[in-house]
Amino acid sequence: MPEVKPTIVSSENPQVYEDVHVHAVYDEIAPHFSSTRYKPWPIIAAFLSSLPTGWVGVDLGTGNGKYLPLPYDRPGAVWTIGLDRSINLLKLAKRAGDVDREVVLGDVLDHPWRRGAFDYAISIATIHHLATPERRKLAVQRVLETISPSHGRALIYVWAVEQDELSKRSIPASADNDGQCSSPSGQTGRGQDVFVPWVLAQPAESKPKTRRKGKSGKPATPETPETGVDAEHSPPKVFNRYYHMFAKGELNQLVADAASALGLVLGDAPADGIVATGEGEKECGVQIVQDGWERSNYYVELRRWER
Amino acid sequence: MVRLITHNLLACHAKGCTSNNFPLQFQDAAIELRDAEFNADFLRGFLPRIEWTALVGAARQLGDTSLPAEQPEMLDDEFLQKLHHVLLEVHVEEGAMVCPNCKHVYPISNGIPNMLLAEHEIG
Ligand SMILES: [Zn+2]
Repeated sequence: MPEVKPTIVSSENPQVYEDVHVHAVYDEIAPHFSSTRYKPWPIIAAFLSSLPTGWVGVDLGTGNGKYLPLPYDRPGAVWTIGLDRSINLLKLAKRAGDVDREVVLGDVLDHPWRRGAFDYAISIATIHHLATPERRKLAVQRVLETISPSHGRALIYVWAVEQDELSKRSIPASADNDGQCSSPSGQTGRGQDVFVPWVLAQPAESKPKTRRKGKSGKPATPETPETGVDAEHSPPKVFNRYYHMFAKGELNQLVADAASALGLVLGDAPADGIVATGEGEKECGVQIVQDGWERSNYYVELRRWER
Repeated sequence: MVRLITHNLLACHAKGCTSNNFPLQFQDAAIELRDAEFNADFLRGFLPRIEWTALVGAARQLGDTSLPAEQPEMLDDEFLQKLHHVLLEVHVEEGAMVCPNCKHVYPISNGIPNMLLAEHEIG
């Protein structure tokens, strides 16, 4: 059973850090990872089931595309396009559910779309791979910018510090918290940066390794050196994936910060009758429809509005 | 895959490129036609979201002239079938998309468009 190890992000260049500790890892472990990920979480399935027919959306950090076929009760009623930075995961995603899917190689911090073109967006288990608070906030901003200002809906899931008992992961009991999270009491928790190992069993008959002549020549952080190991006796390879585990309240704070950066009011849409002014100035906002903790994750569902 | 449903949503996002950055122009497109499940309700719901002129233009670039220049008011089955084909059954497998404004080239390989930018190109 892999343990979760606290880590500290070297923040000189978070982009490079994520390249090594997130993207390169997923590109290496894609098929194995994919075979273990198939069950949609209930709240995500319910969200996608609730969308009106004809809506188009984007899955920011789609991975192997497991949410692209949803909703199962009305297949094809909505159209979700998958975006990810891992080309090897996208090669799986484009045939998720054995049907042609639309996938795009891209970064969740970019915005390669017509503004507000989507009716909905989901970002599941993705934003916790971004290595600084600024980048996580920007990712939430992008979610809000991607969807229609008048009716866009969004669902975001991130890993929680609070893991449920069924989770296979064991969390270091605040091992490293003293230095990292000793924020004054009352302040929103700041979460914890960790490495989560992915153990990739070596195929028994694997040929001598010739892959990985990658651009930078930088290996995807395997802890076991590959050189000179007899294929038959290859020990499993361990890849450390970077995660930021969210503290309670941290995701909602991120939403508030992102909304404020975009000049959006955070709160319920004013009732139709109470139009603030008539002076042509539209008031734009975002409402938290629901939020909570499910199966070791924090989630928040959002809806944009303008009056 | 790059089908025209996706093409109709993509825009150039290179640094400083904020106007006339849509629609991207296909270049050296290799296409494949593959059947997709027809869903009239989806198409009717999706229709108001389409940038129609961009869709018609992109289809013509790919050699399909079945759509009228103006979006018709009557959404009969014959029209929906044509729309279905253009949006969902024409796959651009190889080639590129070029920004009409800054000429940035977004390559398409194995049906997957690469919308990543180099660091200095990010806005
Ligand atoms: Zn451009």
